[in-house]
Amino acid sequence: MSYIQFQKVSKVFPGEVYAVKDLNLSIERGEFVSFLGPSGCGKTTSLRMLAGLEKNTHGTILIDGVNMSQAESHLFVPPEKRKVGMVFQSYAVWPHMNVFENVAYPLRIAKKPKDEIQQRVNSILEIVELNGLEARMPGQLSGGQQQRVALARGLVMEPRVLLLDEPLSNLDAQLRGKMRKDIRAIQQNLKLTVVYVTHDQIEANTMSDRVVIMRGGKVLQVGTPDQIRNNPADSFVAEFVKQ
Amino acid sequence: MVNRIKSAFFDIRVLFLGLALVALFFFCVLPFFTLFERVLFPEGQFTLSLFEETFSSPAITIAIKNTLLVSSLVTITCMFIAVPLAWLLTRTDFPAARKFRSLLCLPFAIPPYIGAIAWIYLANPTTGLLPHLVGGDLFNIYSFTGLVFVEASFLYTFILLTTLSSLDRMDSSFEEAARLSGASPLRVFRDISLPLMRPSLISGGLLVFLATAASFGVPALIGGPARIYLMTTQIYTLQKMGSVSGILKAGALSSLLMVTALLTIFLSQFISRKAKFQTVSGKTSRPSVIELGKWKPLAVIGVLTFGFIVFVLPISGILISSLSKVQGDVGLSNFGFGNWYRVLFEVDETGRALFNSFILSAGAATLAVIVGYLVSYVQTKTRLPGGHLFDVIASLPYATPGTVVALALIMTFSGQLFGVLPSLYNTLGLILIAYFVKYLSFAVKTSADGFRQVDDVLAEASRVSGASWLQTMIRIWLPLLKPSLVAAWFLVFMPAMSELTMTTLLTGPGLETIGTLIFQLQEYADASGGGASVLALIVIIIVIAINYVVKRVSNGKYGL
Repeated sequence: MSYIQFQKVSKVFPGEVYAVKDLNLSIERGEFVSFLGPSGCGKTTSLRMLAGLEKNTHGTILIDGVNMSQAESHLFVPPEKRKVGMVFQSYAVWPHMNVFENVAYPLRIAKKPKDEIQQRVNSILEIVELNGLEARMPGQLSGGQQQRVALARGLVMEPRVLLLDEPLSNLDAQLRGKMRKDIRAIQQNLKLTVVYVTHDQIEANTMSDRVVIMRGGKVLQVGTPDQIRNNPADSFVAEFVKQ
Repeated sequence: MVNRIKSAFFDIRVLFLGLALVALFFFCVLPFFTLFERVLFPEGQFTLSLFEETFSSPAITIAIKNTLLVSSLVTITCMFIAVPLAWLLTRTDFPAARKFRSLLCLPFAIPPYIGAIAWIYLANPTTGLLPHLVGGDLFNIYSFTGLVFVEASFLYTFILLTTLSSLDRMDSSFEEAARLSGASPLRVFRDISLPLMRPSLISGGLLVFLATAASFGVPALIGGPARIYLMTTQIYTLQKMGSVSGILKAGALSSLLMVTALLTIFLSQFISRKAKFQTVSGKTSRPSVIELGKWKPLAVIGVLTFGFIVFVLPISGILISSLSKVQGDVGLSNFGFGNWYRVLFEVDETGRALFNSFILSAGAATLAVIVGYLVSYVQTKTRLPGGHLFDVIASLPYATPGTVVALALIMTFSGQLFGVLPSLYNTLGLILIAYFVKYLSFAVKTSADGFRQVDDVLAEASRVSGASWLQTMIRIWLPLLKPSLVAAWFLVFMPAMSELTMTTLLTGPGLETIGTLIFQLQEYADASGGGASVLALIVIIIVIAINYVVKRVSNGKYGL
């Protein structure tokens, strides 16, 4: 059985407006999967349903064999119980806490002992190359550094899966290239399962094991970057990955 | 060439804008200079003796202490009410949250003295309806608790409005990131939302503190019988003594109140500017809704009970009171339209009061819109040095407690001004100036918003087409700003219609307004008759109707 499963998942808003329709997808442990598509295609909604920030109106979502949400039987695990890390497009680094406290927050919630928190935060800050900046306030950090704080915070609790929602769209081109490599390297070193949302096909192709192309709430094609490039399912996909 | 010479000597633009600026300084700044001059230089020489004399009086020090105590208690109470309400209405699946928002913010527009009248009817110790229905001493409104309760039941809206807007604008991913870190919704509120909204909360709290310290109607109606005197009611008493020394002492107390008020405003601005984190993102996704689940019925019951206490109970109290022949009696035979008939057709002052209030409010609103239109033009569309401070100057009288504004106006405009202008004391003119001055900032702010929304090229296109400055002001700017200006007119008209605090100090025989007539009927003329309730109900209806109009003409931008 696959590690993460979307089984006939839909999100309908009042008036029969489908944000996502009949999403079926399996993601393996340690896999890097990107949702790729134009804005409004349902990729962010899918990610937020996996996080528990949105409730799917139909279907089932499983992580590691555990039922997270089953719309038909009203089963729903709230986001704080899912052990899922997430990096937001706007970083969402809390402006009233310093770097250390931002990263330590998930461990404090989990009531970990002080020395363990100290040690785990330090080692994660080293991984994202932020050691030495523990006492800085977010207002004193660059966009790229805030991004790394957000990443460290998502990683520190050793999540079942790390979700990234357009994390690089607010960075300049040069920084984006470095962050792409770094995120991929961290994912491979820690053997993380990552679900990545982007509208940038270069990001999706260079980082992912598999790419999910979406449009209008539906999945058009799933495959490795090579498969999709060589064998596009339809003219939209062909056009979209050509750019 | 000819044109240039002409414009150097006489520019119609300078005339109009200059007049508006003169009006701004003459009415919004000069009176306060006069007030400070009178209390610091009582006989032409600088001395603090007036202050020493004033503040050595025990009655006055008690009034100051009472003011601080009541204002603090009201502020704390309002925070405990408003913060959970704001959270429920913005972050959870509370049913019909939008409707509850408008409804629970509505007391913002109703003058609190209306609430005092309602609660005096409902809970006074002798004929109160609630003691009558429930039996025994439920709760005596003529008390410290009563005073705090009635103030808080209106002023919580100040904090509710600021915290709602802060929670609405907050980037929802801050809270979502905390949820994903494992924090429960309440923990998220404590650790993330509350610290991020702290600046709004503090400035809302300071506004409540200030509004309580500045309020006159509630302390007069409830504090009076309970023998609890605040600074505003002391100023009123001192001024009504009519002696020069009484007025000077009132002035000394007023200048203290004004300085406190301005410091409070300054502090609140400082905090909200200084501590403002970047919590607003460009991308606003809908915050994920917290499901109340099994707590939902409890939350609904809580909010409904609260709405019942602050809204349904006082309004129905006023309605019942206005229909009761004998106050406090609830037998069917006690009800009728006797009070309505008496107040509307037999009390001579009613017609005059309605007429005066209407004329004064409409006049002040019109003046304020004209001056506000011109001043905000200078502020937003010219590079006059210091122009950005005009809305601060215009809001000076609004920030100053009404009692102080009235006293400053009396000191400035009674007696011959500059040896030529007639005294305005005891005339409708002075009340008109008071309304205009007090609410001018609404007009300046609203029309400045309007000007900022319109691109200059529209005016430049008009000039290029051969229109003069004045033609452009009238034929281009005016129509473009019409929605803002109409909203501004009503925003001035609405509070002026029911104004009490300043009017009680400025009124005289024949100068009744709705506010003073209600006060008069309630305090002595018709205390047992419920006549005040008739007029109070009329005020509520007017306020709700105007609020509706403002909301319609501004497409929901202004109004509640």
